[in-house]
Amino acid sequence: MSGFVVVAIVMLIGIVPCGVVVWRGTAMEALVGYEAIGSIVVMVLVLLAEGFGRFGELELPIVLAVLMFGSGLVFARALERWL
Amino acid sequence: MIIREIVTDTLLGLAAATVLVSSAGVLLMRGVCDKLHFVTPAALVAPVLVTMAVLVHAGFSATTTEVLVALLFMVFSGPFLTHATIRAARVRERGDWRPGPHDGARSGRGHQ
Repeated sequence: MSGFVVVAIVMLIGIVPCGVVVWRGTAMEALVGYEAIGSIVVMVLVLLAEGFGRFGELELPIVLAVLMFGSGLVFARALERWL
Repeated sequence: MIIREIVTDTLLGLAAATVLVSSAGVLLMRGVCDKLHFVTPAALVAPVLVTMAVLVHAGFSATTTEVLVALLFMVFSGPFLTHATIRAARVRERGDWRPGPHDGARSGRGHQ
């Protein structure tokens, strides 16, 4: 198991506190936790692709980064106007 | 070769520590503003460290260019997302994002 995979697992542990915020917090706090989880998962996907040598899957973090940006803006605007 | 591995592991360790501290901050801080302060290291600093680790480990190639693209997108989109989030929080809290009469010196009308 390479260092990249180990660090990916450690970063996945870091998702737990953010998940608690999403679960227990207010709507705006949940959005903050969601953004933190998105950032961490992008790095985890990069680390796993590098760690297992599956470089073709490096497109996944790029797509996820774009989707996280768009969805974060949509959530922020929805919470600002309607929810 | 050994030095390259040491540098890679050091960068990865720093990235993991950054993410763990940021996650703890997101959990422990009170309020949206304070929590958002701890999202920034996980969204900006840690990706830079991970990308540097990949570059040191694999060198500059087509593969690492994809990692760079993901990093650059996160670096440029992060501030916009943070701004949108804090603006939404302010609108939900006060009804308007612009400074009001109760905002003190920042509105230019307080402390008179």
